Amino acid sequence: MINRKMLAALGAALMLPLTPLAAQSASPVSLSGDVKAVKTTTAADGSERTELVEPGAIVPGDRLVFGTDYANNGAETVTNFTVTNPLPAAVRLAPDADAALSVSVDGGKTWGELAALKVANTDGTARPASHADVTHVRWVLATIAPGAKGRVTYPVIIR
Amino acid sequence: MTTYTRTNTALATIALLALLTGAGLSAPANAGGVTAGTLIENTAVASYDEGGTPRTINSNTVTIRVDELLDLTLTSLNPGPVAARPGEAVLSFELTNQGNGPEAFKLNANPAVAGNQFDVTVTSIAIDTNANAIYEPGIDLLLTAPQTTAVLAPDAVRTVFVLVRVPTGVNDTQTSAVELTAEAVTGSGAPGKIYAAGGVNGGDAIVGTSGALAAARGRLAAGLAAVKLVKSVSLRDPFGGTGAVPGAIATFTIAASVSGSGSVAALVVTDAIPAGTTYVPGTLKLDAATISDAADGDAGTASTAAGVRVALGTVAAGTNRAITFDVLITK
Repeated sequence: MINRKMLAALGAALMLPLTPLAAQSASPVSLSGDVKAVKTTTAADGSERTELVEPGAIVPGDRLVFGTDYANNGAETVTNFTVTNPLPAAVRLAPDADAALSVSVDGGKTWGELAALKVANTDGTARPASHADVTHVRWVLATIAPGAKGRVTYPVIIR
Repeated sequence: MTTYTRTNTALATIALLALLTGAGLSAPANAGGVTAGTLIENTAVASYDEGGTPRTINSNTVTIRVDELLDLTLTSLNPGPVAARPGEAVLSFELTNQGNGPEAFKLNANPAVAGNQFDVTVTSIAIDTNANAIYEPGIDLLLTAPQTTAVLAPDAVRTVFVLVRVPTGVNDTQTSAVELTAEAVTGSGAPGKIYAAGGVNGGDAIVGTSGALAAARGRLAAGLAAVKLVKSVSLRDPFGGTGAVPGAIATFTIAASVSGSGSVAALVVTDAIPAGTTYVPGTLKLDAATISDAADGDAGTASTAAGVRVALGTVAAGTNRAITFDVLITK
């Protein structure tokens, strides 16, 4: 009996973070995520071209692009707009990601361009951060006018 | 009391699991990459100010499942050709699941390889059950047809033994090869070939760079050693000559030479003392070193009645040994 009760309590506790913030009015901003696979085809003349396709079978080493469409559907300008995207553990940021992208290598605590970030070694020294160290990416826009929309993307490689 | 303790332990485990899951535990990394069946979930969060009020909104979560990569490596573990004599021989191979999902592999050993100077017969394929890299009859698992390994986890390594019988009639230094192939049970083919729903949890399986098929050759070289014995005698009579007369001493030399390649085991040289002669005690020598007549720690024994016996043990090809002893001609 105790077992079942406590499990129920535990379950309720786990459910909590999923409860939506029902008290607020509908968001004027919409966010819509998607994923595409990067398909590289080699033409008869040996030249390679890449295209974004719906993901079919994907395996480690394959390239994906995660995208997020945003739009301000409200009547007022929104400010301090920041889209934060934690990287799924099973992927790493692709080396051809925009070098100016704001990234974090410490779980979202500090941010900067990858070239400026460092990762602590176990012996107390630090080494330059690499693409594989990135834990979060984000985009910051000062304002989005009413009716304005856009899209942000980042490329990854499956670990 | 006991019940409470148990209950709490179980709860602690469940709570820990929940915490780990919630923390977004890193996907297991192995040589083949993220484990097949792993779900990659991506959610973006936006924060902004609306009329001075900070707000946040989550995007939908995009989920994509990692499919199964079919890859393997197979290599021969024998550093060089295995010495073969007519009879049984064992070839060793190493099979590694380089894919990212659990996979079994079909094995096939082909003894008829182009260029063979003799062909062996494959008797069995065995898996090194206790992972000591030595084939042990009765311990290591003999596969039955169709010869297929158990399901191997990603990165799992198994030693595979191919047991062969070398035919009689092979000549020294002749060589032979046996080709072992291993193929993913799900399927093989050109890299990139997709087996729809053939992977983990109903996902697809995709052939990796190995083609999901690998082959390796184990080599055998016949090591046949031959033993040749050459016996010679020199005589010394009491008159300073070399006549075979009563009272003369005859010194016999038995030259044992092992030719070919490999070695011979348990080589024993025996010789009877000729009629009309007696063995001269204390004259038995091996390579000019005296060895006692008695049956003791050394290699030889000698007496008039039993003759001469020298045990040379294992003798490598290319070795020459010389045994000498004296007899006295009595009539």
